Amino acid sequence: MTGSKRIQLLPDHVINKIAAGEVVERPASVLKELLENALDAGASSIEVSLVDGGRKLIRVADDGSGMNRDDALLAIERHATSKIRDSEDIEHIATLGFRGEALAAISSVSRFTLLTRLAGEVEGTEIEISGGKLLHVRAAGCPPGTDIAVRNLFFNVPARKKFLRAAATEQQHARQMFLLHALAHPDVAFRLTMDEREHHRLAAADTLEARLGELYGQDFARDLVPVDFSRDGYRVWGLIGKPTLHRSDRSDQITFVNRRPATAPVVHYALGEVYRGTVPKGRHPVLFLFLEVPPDAVDVNVHPTKKEVRFRVLSMVRDLLIEGLSRALKQPPPSRRTDIPEPGTQRTAGPALAPEALHLPDLQHPFPPKPPMPRTETVPALPGSGFTPLRGDHSPGEPAAPPPPASSPDSPWGNATFLGSVGNGYAVFAIPEGMLLLDPQAAHERVLYEQYLHQIQSNRIPAQPLLQPETIDLPPVKGDTLRRHLASLHELGFGISDFGGDTFLVDALPACLGDAPLRALLDDLTTALTEGGQKRAMGDLLRERIARAACATAVGGTRRLKPEEALSLLNALAGADMPYTCPHGRPTVILTRRSELDRKFGKG
Amino acid sequence: MKVIINKDVVLEGLQKVQSIVGTKTTLPVLYNVFLKAEDDKVFLTATNIDVTVRTSVQATVSREGGTTLPARRLTSIIRELPATDIEINVDDKDVATIKAGSSRFKIIGISDEEFPALPSLEEGKTYSVDQGIFRRMLLSTSYAASHEESRYVLNGVLLNFKEDKLNMVATDGRRMALYEEPVEFPDELAGDYIVPSTAVNELLKTLGAEGKMRIVAGQNQITFEFDDIYIVSKLIEGTFPNFRQVIPSACEERVMVEREQLLTAIKRVSLVSDKSNTVNLVFSKNHLELQASAQDIGEASETLAVKYSGKEIKISFNPEYLMDCLRSLTSDEVALEISDDLSPGVVKCDAPFLYVLMPMRVR
Repeated sequence: MTGSKRIQLLPDHVINKIAAGEVVERPASVLKELLENALDAGASSIEVSLVDGGRKLIRVADDGSGMNRDDALLAIERHATSKIRDSEDIEHIATLGFRGEALAAISSVSRFTLLTRLAGEVEGTEIEISGGKLLHVRAAGCPPGTDIAVRNLFFNVPARKKFLRAAATEQQHARQMFLLHALAHPDVAFRLTMDEREHHRLAAADTLEARLGELYGQDFARDLVPVDFSRDGYRVWGLIGKPTLHRSDRSDQITFVNRRPATAPVVHYALGEVYRGTVPKGRHPVLFLFLEVPPDAVDVNVHPTKKEVRFRVLSMVRDLLIEGLSRALKQPPPSRRTDIPEPGTQRTAGPALAPEALHLPDLQHPFPPKPPMPRTETVPALPGSGFTPLRGDHSPGEPAAPPPPASSPDSPWGNATFLGSVGNGYAVFAIPEGMLLLDPQAAHERVLYEQYLHQIQSNRIPAQPLLQPETIDLPPVKGDTLRRHLASLHELGFGISDFGGDTFLVDALPACLGDAPLRALLDDLTTALTEGGQKRAMGDLLRERIARAACATAVGGTRRLKPEEALSLLNALAGADMPYTCPHGRPTVILTRRSELDRKFGKG
Repeated sequence: MKVIINKDVVLEGLQKVQSIVGTKTTLPVLYNVFLKAEDDKVFLTATNIDVTVRTSVQATVSREGGTTLPARRLTSIIRELPATDIEINVDDKDVATIKAGSSRFKIIGISDEEFPALPSLEEGKTYSVDQGIFRRMLLSTSYAASHEESRYVLNGVLLNFKEDKLNMVATDGRRMALYEEPVEFPDELAGDYIVPSTAVNELLKTLGAEGKMRIVAGQNQITFEFDDIYIVSKLIEGTFPNFRQVIPSACEERVMVEREQLLTAIKRVSLVSDKSNTVNLVFSKNHLELQASAQDIGEASETLAVKYSGKEIKISFNPEYLMDCLRSLTSDEVALEISDDLSPGVVKCDAPFLYVLMPMRVR
C-alpha cells in the first residue's frame, strides 16, 4: 500500500499519452502538427490525404528538407526538436512548432509510419511505431522530404476514441485546418485528398488574394478589401470583408499571428470597434488577417495547440488593428481592381459602355448632374468645420469646372446617373460598374449620423452641473480606470472628483447626455474607457443617441427622391466614413455589377 | 344594466377618465372603462393600476348593474352619435347595445369582475385645499420633475405639508421648482408625499378653477376628491432630497425682467443653438443681452433693457430650463437672482414661487 502511494517519475510512454491528451485532440490536431512540421521543413509542396475523416488515415507528405536516420529517430522522442536550442530561443520563435512533443505524442496513440530522406542521401529511413512501441527502423527508398502516415488514431485509447465525432464532422475540422494553412502559405502548393477523392489542388500562388480566390471562389474575393498597415514594427495585412458581407458565426474570421493560425481576445474587440454600426448586431464580418509582430512581443507558448496567443503590449495591437482596418474600410472601393480580372472577351464591352455612361448625363438634360456633385463633395469633406453654407453660396456662381472631374473618379460611385425610383422609394442609378440601388432613408441616416457625431466630437461640450453633487461607489477596477481619466473626462463635460476610496463625487454631466441614469452612465463610461481609450469613450456613450437623432431626421422611407436630391445624397454618402450601412447596420446600397447582369442574361 | 343618458354629459365624463386608459398593456381589461349604474348615476372608472380615476354622471337608470367597455371606442362612438339621448343596455354576457336615434351599436365588453378592484379609500391624513390654487402649484412645478426612471424618487411632485404650509417641489437634479401656499391643518398632520407624474397629469386635466379639494393621504396611496371625481394614486416610496439645502441663501445681484419679453427673446435666440443647448445671459449696466451660437449654424443675440447696476456677469443656462419656468408663470415680471457664472441662478415672481437652476459650464 505504501509502495503504490510513493511519488515516482512516470515512464515515458505514460508521459507521452498525457501529452497526447493535450496536443492530440482529434484528427484535425494531428493534421495541424504534421502540416506545421512540413512547413517548418521548408516544403514547397505538401500533399494531405485523409480517410474516414482522418480516423483511419492522416497522411502528410512534403518535399521539405527531410531527415537522416539519427535525426528521424530523435524526432520521435519527447521534447526533441530542431527548432529551438535553449530557453532563450523561446523568446523569439520564428518557426511554427517548437515544443518538440508532437510526434512523440501522436505516435503513442496511433499506428505511426515515418518515411524520410535527406535530399543529398542515397537512401531514406522508415520508422514504424505502434502505440508508442518502436516496431522497426529500416532503410527504404523514397523521394526527398518527409512522409508521415498516422493510422487508426486512438486505437489504444478507447476513452478518447469514443469522443471522436462522426467522420463528416472530423473531416470538416480537418478541412478547416487544411484551409488555414493553405491560406497562410500561398507560396506553397497544397493538395488535399479525402477518401481517395481530390478536393483541392492549389498551385503555388503568389498572393493571398489568388489563394483565396481558389479556395472560396472569385466572386467572394471581390467583396473583400485589402489591408496593409504597419507601425513600430507591427504590421497587419490581409483582406477584410466589406460590412455588407457578414456571417452568423466567426468561422470565416481567420487570423494569423506571425503566420500561425491563432487569435486573441483583443482581435475580437478591435473587430467589434471597427465594424460596429456597420455590421448588424449578432453578425460577424469576414476577414483573413495576418498580424506580424516582433517575435519577442508575443507569447505563443500559452496554449499547447497554440490556438490563442498573448501579446506583450495589448494596446499596440488594438490600436494597430482599429486604425488599419478602419482605414482600409474607408478607402473608396477599388472598383478598377475588380474589373481587371474579368475575362479578356469583355474588352470590347468595357470601352463601349463607359463612354455611354459618360454621355448619359448630358443627354438627360433636365438636371446637369455635375453642379450638385461638387457641392455635396464638400459637405462630407468638412463636416463640423461649419462653413458648408458658405461653400454652398460659392459654387452656384461658378459651376466649379475643375472639382468634378478631379473628385468623381475618386469617389466610389462616380459618374452616376439617376434613373428613377422603384419599390419603396429606392433610387436606381447607372454607374460605370453596373447598377446601384440606394435606400434613401438608410443612406440619409448614415450621412446625418456621421455629421452629428463629428459635430459632437469637434465642439466643446458644455457641462450641466447638478444642484446637489451625487456620490457614486464603483468597484475597485472601474474606480482605478475612472481616476486615471478624470482630467480628460473634465474636458468632455463631466465634473467628477475623487472622494476617497472608490467613491466619486459627480457634480456635472455633459449637457448632451440629458437626464441619463448616473450610475449606469459611469459604468458604461469606465467600460468604454478600459476598452477603447478616452477618445472613443464619448462617441460610444452617444452612439445610440446620435443614431436615434439621425433616424428621426432622415428622409421618410417611401418618398420618391427628385433627381437632384438623389445624386446629392449619393455623393454625400460616398463621402461618408462608412458608406455601406446605416447606423443600425442595414445596407444603404446594393450594387449589381455589369458582369452579374451579363451572367443573369446568359451573356456571361 | 340599462340606462338612458345624455350624450354631452357622458362624453364629458368619459373624457375625464379615458386619458388614464393604457395604450400598451398586457391586461386587456385595462383598455376598458368600468361603467356602474346605481341609483340615478353611472360611475365611470379607468385605471392603469397605479392611478385610478373615477367620476360619475347623471342618468336615468332602469336596471342597475355594471360592465366594462373599450374606452376609446366607446368615446368615439358616443361622440359621433346623432341624438342627445343615448340608451345603453348591457346583457349578462357583457354585450352592450347602444341606441341613439336610428343608430344602433353592439359592443362586446368584459365582465366587471375582471376589472381591478377600486383601491379602498383607506384612512389617512385629510387635508382640504383650494382646487384652483392646487392646480396653479402643479402647473408651476411639475415640469421640473425627472423622467429618468432610475431616479424614481424624482419622477413626481413632492407635497410637503409642514407648519400650516403646503410646499410643492419638483426637481430633476439640475433645476428645482418650489411653490408654497398656506394651508390650514393641525400640526400632527405634517407629512411628505411624492405623487407620481401620471397622477399629476390627471389632476392637471381634471382640476377646476374653484371649489375645494379633499386630499386623503395614506401609507402607500393618496386620494384626491373634488367635484364628482376621485383620483387615487400610489405614492412613490422613498425620500425626496432635502430641497431647502439647494436654495441659495443669498445672491449678489438681482434684476427684474418682463417675463413675457424674456421668454420670447430666449425662444428667438435659442433657435440657433444646437443639441447641447446653451444660452448666455450677459448682464451689464441696464442691459441684459441674450446670446446663443452653434458652430455649424450661426449665432443670435438680443438685448433687453433692464434696471441693472451690478457687476458684469456672463452666465449660461439651458434655454429649455429657463423657458419651462417662464412659461409656467403668470406674473408680469420675474426677478432673476445671480451671483456669478458658476453659482446657481434663481427665478422668483410675485407668487410664493422659487426656481433654482444650475448654470452650464462652458470651457
